[in-house]
Amino acid sequence: MSLIQTENLTKIYGKGEAAVTALDHVNIAVNEGEFVAVMGPSGCGKSTLLHLIGGLDRPTEGNVRIEGVALAEMDDDTLTKLRRRKIGFVFQFFNLIPVLTAVENAALPVMLDGVKPAEAKKRAAEWLTRFGLGDRLAARPDQLSGGQQQRVAIARALVSEPALILADEPTGNLDTRSGDEIASLLRDVTKKYGRTVVMVTHDPRIAAYADRIIFLKDGKVVDETYLERKNKDNAQVLTNVMERLSD
Amino acid sequence: MNLQLTLAWRYLTGRVLRTTLTTFAVIFGVMVIFGMNIVLPTMMEGFKANMMAAGGVVDVTVTHVTTSAFPAEVAHKLDGIPSIRAYSASLERTVNLPPDFVDDDPARPDRISAVNLVGVEPEAARSLQVYLIDEPGRFLQAGDTNAAVISQSLADAWGVRLGETISLPSVDGLTELTIVGILPPRTRPGNEEVLVTLAQAQAMTGQPGQINTIRIALTSVDESARAEAVAAIESALGSDYQIGSLDPGSEMFASLKLGQAAFNMFGVLALFMGGFIIFNTFRTVVAERRRDIGMLRALGATRRTITGAILTEGLVQGVLGSLIGLALGYLLGALVVRLAAEPMKSFLNINMGRPVISPALVITSLLLGVGVTLLSTLLPARNASCVTPMDALRPSVAEVEYKRRAGASFIAGVVMIGIALIGLVSGNMGLIALGGLLFLGGLILVAPLLLRPIAWAFGHLLAWFYARQGIADLAQGNLTRQPGRVTVTASATLIGLAIIVALGGMTTSLTGMMGDLLHKTLGSDYLFIPPSIAVWNSDMGASPQFAARLREVEGVEAVTSLRFAAGAVNGQAVSVLALDPQTYPQVAGLDFTEGNEAEAYAALASGRNMIVNGAFLATLGVKVGETVEMTTPNGPRPYTIVAEAMDLLNAKVVTVYISHANLAADFGRTDDVFIMLNLKPGVALEDVDAQIKAIAADYPQFTVMAGKKYIDDMMQYMNAVWAVMFFLLIFLSIPSLIAMMNTLAINVIERTREIGMVRAVGATRKQVHRMVVAEALLLAAVGTAFGILAGLYLGYVIVSGIGVMFPVAYQFPLAGVLAGLAVGLLFGALAAVIPARQAAQLQVVEALRYE
Repeated sequence: MSLIQTENLTKIYGKGEAAVTALDHVNIAVNEGEFVAVMGPSGCGKSTLLHLIGGLDRPTEGNVRIEGVALAEMDDDTLTKLRRRKIGFVFQFFNLIPVLTAVENAALPVMLDGVKPAEAKKRAAEWLTRFGLGDRLAARPDQLSGGQQQRVAIARALVSEPALILADEPTGNLDTRSGDEIASLLRDVTKKYGRTVVMVTHDPRIAAYADRIIFLKDGKVVDETYLERKNKDNAQVLTNVMERLSD
Repeated sequence: MNLQLTLAWRYLTGRVLRTTLTTFAVIFGVMVIFGMNIVLPTMMEGFKANMMAAGGVVDVTVTHVTTSAFPAEVAHKLDGIPSIRAYSASLERTVNLPPDFVDDDPARPDRISAVNLVGVEPEAARSLQVYLIDEPGRFLQAGDTNAAVISQSLADAWGVRLGETISLPSVDGLTELTIVGILPPRTRPGNEEVLVTLAQAQAMTGQPGQINTIRIALTSVDESARAEAVAAIESALGSDYQIGSLDPGSEMFASLKLGQAAFNMFGVLALFMGGFIIFNTFRTVVAERRRDIGMLRALGATRRTITGAILTEGLVQGVLGSLIGLALGYLLGALVVRLAAEPMKSFLNINMGRPVISPALVITSLLLGVGVTLLSTLLPARNASCVTPMDALRPSVAEVEYKRRAGASFIAGVVMIGIALIGLVSGNMGLIALGGLLFLGGLILVAPLLLRPIAWAFGHLLAWFYARQGIADLAQGNLTRQPGRVTVTASATLIGLAIIVALGGMTTSLTGMMGDLLHKTLGSDYLFIPPSIAVWNSDMGASPQFAARLREVEGVEAVTSLRFAAGAVNGQAVSVLALDPQTYPQVAGLDFTEGNEAEAYAALASGRNMIVNGAFLATLGVKVGETVEMTTPNGPRPYTIVAEAMDLLNAKVVTVYISHANLAADFGRTDDVFIMLNLKPGVALEDVDAQIKAIAADYPQFTVMAGKKYIDDMMQYMNAVWAVMFFLLIFLSIPSLIAMMNTLAINVIERTREIGMVRAVGATRKQVHRMVVAEALLLAAVGTAFGILAGLYLGYVIVSGIGVMFPVAYQFPLAGVLAGLAVGLLFGALAAVIPARQAAQLQVVEALRYE
C-alpha cells in the first residue's frame, strides 16, 4: 500500500467567474521511503498539492489518504494530531519561532504532543547533532545562517519521527551552496533514516536529488520521471522538461 | 502547559518595551484602586482611635441623640430602675490643643494634640469604676476646685508631678488645674483623659448644669437582663436619648467616602483604558505572529493550544502588572497618608497611623487587574486560534473592512447618547451620572460610522499641509479601511482626553467658586481659628467675654463669631452653627443660592428661622420655606427654612445657620468657636497686631491669622491638590499613547508589501515617513475630537453633581479643551515616531518579498 494516495484531488479557489482551478483531478501515489519532487511552472498548483497532502488545506473535491486513512473525514483536532505525529513540514521561509532557541524550536512538535520538555529537547538535540548543529543548540534563529535555520526546521520536522516529510521550496530562500546541502540532507532523510519526502521545487538542480519527479501544469499531472542517480545530466534533463512545460 | 508558559514568557521578554508599556496600563489601574482604598480606612482608623469610647466596666452609655449636652436632672430619671447597679453622669469634651501646647517644643512632633476633659461627680464615678491611684495622691472629691486627676503617661508628657499644675484652654481663657492624683499609664488607644469635677467641667466649657453622658453599670450582664434594662432605660428617658453613642464623625466619613468613590471611578476608568490597550496590543501581537501561529498549527498545535498560549501571555502580564500595581499602590497609599498626615492633624486633629490594608482589598484589586487583562485578551486569543496553517504559508494581504458596521450597534449608540442627554435635562443626579457612562459607551458605538467623515475632514486639512504629494489621501484611506481597529484605538485616546477635559472643567469651575467663596465668607481682617475647623464639637470655644475684649481694642470696627451645637432633623445629624445676624454680614457673609440675603438675616433675628446649606436640602429632601422639627437637648423645636446659603468651612457638612439667641435658648451654648474681626478703614494691621495677639494669648485654643494669609494658605493648599490631580491625569493619558503606537505599528506591519510597492513606484523615504505621521495625526484627531466632546459632557455631569451640595456654575474649560487638543495631537505625533521610521527604512526589495 502506498503511503500517500490522492483520489481525483481538486482544489478550486473563488466562485463563479472568478473561480481558479488550482488542482484538477490529480491522482498520484507515493511509496514509503521515496524521495519525490514536484515540479512545474509558477501557479501550476504544486504548493496546493503539498498543502492538501499535509492536511493544511481542504480539497474542493476528491480525497487524500495517508496510510489508507482519508483526511476528508477528519475534524480539525484529529487532523491536527495527524500532522503532529505523521507529518513533518519544511517551509521556504524556515518559519522558526523567533523567541525560541534552536533546540526549543526543533522540540516544538513533540512538546505540543505532551512529551516532557526535557525529553523533547533531548530528542531535538539528537537530530540537531546529526545535522551538524550540536554546538548551536542554544542559538536563537537570528543568530543562525539561512542554511542552519533550514537544518533546524528539518530537525523539527523529524523530531516526532513522522513517516512523511513535506518540503515546500526548502531551498528557495538559500544560496546555491546551502541549497545543495539541504537537498542532500533531505536525500539522507529518505536513504539513511527511511522517511518519505515530498518536496516542491522549481529548481531542477535541487529536484535532481530526488528519486522521482512529478511535473504539474495547470493543476494536472503532465509528466513523471524516475531518476537513476543524481548528477548534472539529470538536472539538464529536468531543465529541458521545465522549458517545454513553460512553452 | 509548560510550552505555553515558555512561549508567553519568551514573547513578553523579547519585546521588553512593549511589554513594559502595556503592563504599565494594568499597573496603573491597580495602583490607583489599591492605593486610594488604603487611604480612607487609614483615615477612619485614625479617626476612630481618637473617638474611641472609654470602655471600662460600663455596660450602657446614654447620650442625647444630637450628642449635645442636656440638663443634669435628666439622670435622676434613672433612679429606682432595679436592674441598674450604679450610674454616673458626666460632661465630657474633647479639647483640641494648639501645636506644642504640651511639650512646648516645636522641634518634636506633638504626642498629645488633644485631651478628653471629663467632668464627673466623684462619688458616682467611683461607684461605677475603681480608680487605682498611688499614695499620696487621691481621687477627686466633691467640692474640689481646679483639681485634676491624670494618668502617669500624660503627666510624663506634660513633665509634671503630683501637686503641680497644668493649664487647659477653657471658655474663659486658660484654666490652671492642680494634679491631685495620678492614675496608671494609659494603655488604650485614643486621647488621654483629664478628670475634673462635674462643676469644674461645666465651668470650663461654659455649660452650667449640663451633662452629656450617663454611664451605667447593670446588676446582671446576661443578654436578656441587659435587653430588659435597656428597655427600662429607654422608657425612662424617652426617645431623645440613645443607648450607645452616635458616631460623631459620620459626616466626615460621608465626605471621605465621596472622595474615595471619585478615586475609585478614576481607577476603574484607568483599568478600563488598560483593558482597551491590552486588547489592542494583543490584536497587534496576533497580527504580527500570524506566521508563527500558522506554523505552530501546521506542526500540530490545536486551536486550544493557541488560545491557551495567548491567554497565558495575558495572564502573565495581568498577574505581573497587578502585583507591581499592588506594590506601587501601597507606596502611593502610604505617600498620600504621609502627605495627608500634616493637614489632617492641623485641620482635623486626626492622628493617622500606619496604612490599613484589608485582605479583601488585596484580593479585589488583584482580581480586577488580572480579570480585566484576561478579558481583554480573550477576543484576540480567539482570533489567533482561527489562524489556519495556511496563513503561515500564504502571503498575508492586509484586510480591508469594507463592510460598514452601521446596523444595530450604531442605533444602540445613538439611543444611549439620547438617553444620556435626556438624563442631563432631567436634572436628576442619578440619571445624570448614569448618563455619563451611557454617553461614553454610546460614543464608542457610534464612532465607527462617524470615523469616515471626521477622517475626511481632517484629511483635507492635512492635504493642505502636504500639498501635491498624494500622501494625505493615502493616509486617510489607510485609516478608514479598518474602522473597527481605529475606533478601539481612538477610544483609548478618547477616554484619556475625556478625563482631562472633564476634570479641567471641574477644576476651572471649582477654583473659581472656591476663590469667590474664600473672599466672601472668610474675607475678614483677622480670623481666630480653632484647632479643628470641620469637627466643631471637639473644639473648646471661648465665652463671649473674648469677643467683647477684642471689640474694645482701638481700631477694631466689628467682631463676629460662629457658635456650634449638634442637632438632628428627622434623625439626620446636623451641624447647628449660630451667627449674630447684625454683625456677621458686616464682617463676613454667607454665599446665598436661594433667598434674599438681607431678609434672611433679619428673619434669623426675629424667630425660629434658619438658613441651611445645599447638603442639608439634598440630604433631607426639603425645600426653602418649609418648617422642620429640630431635635434639641430641650426637646423638639420647629424651625423654618428661610434661605439656602453656605460658608466655605461648612460646605460639605449638613449644616444649618441660626441666631446666637436661638442657640442659647434651645441648645444652651454660648461659646464662640470661630471668630472674625474687621478693622476700621485706614487702620493698619501693625497698629493693632500686638494688642490683639495679647488678648488671644489667653485663649490658646485659637490660632490668630490675618484673613489674607489664611486665604493665601488655603489657595496654596488647593493648588497643591490640583497639581497632584493633574499629575495623575498625565499618567492616565500615557496609556493612550501606547494604544496609538500599537495601532500604527500593526498598520505598518500589515502593509509592509504595500509600503514596499509605494517605495518601488517612486515614493521617497520622507514621503513614506510623512504618510505614517499623517495617519497618526488623523488617528489622534479622531480620538481627540471624540474625547473633547465626551469630556465636556462628563465635566458638566461632575459639576452638576457637585452643584447639588456646592453652588457651582459650570464654566467652559477653554484651557482644558486646548490642553486636550494639544496633548492629543502631540501624542499622535509622538506615537508615529517609531512606526514611521520603521516604515521609512524598509528596504524596497525586502518589503516586496515580505510575505
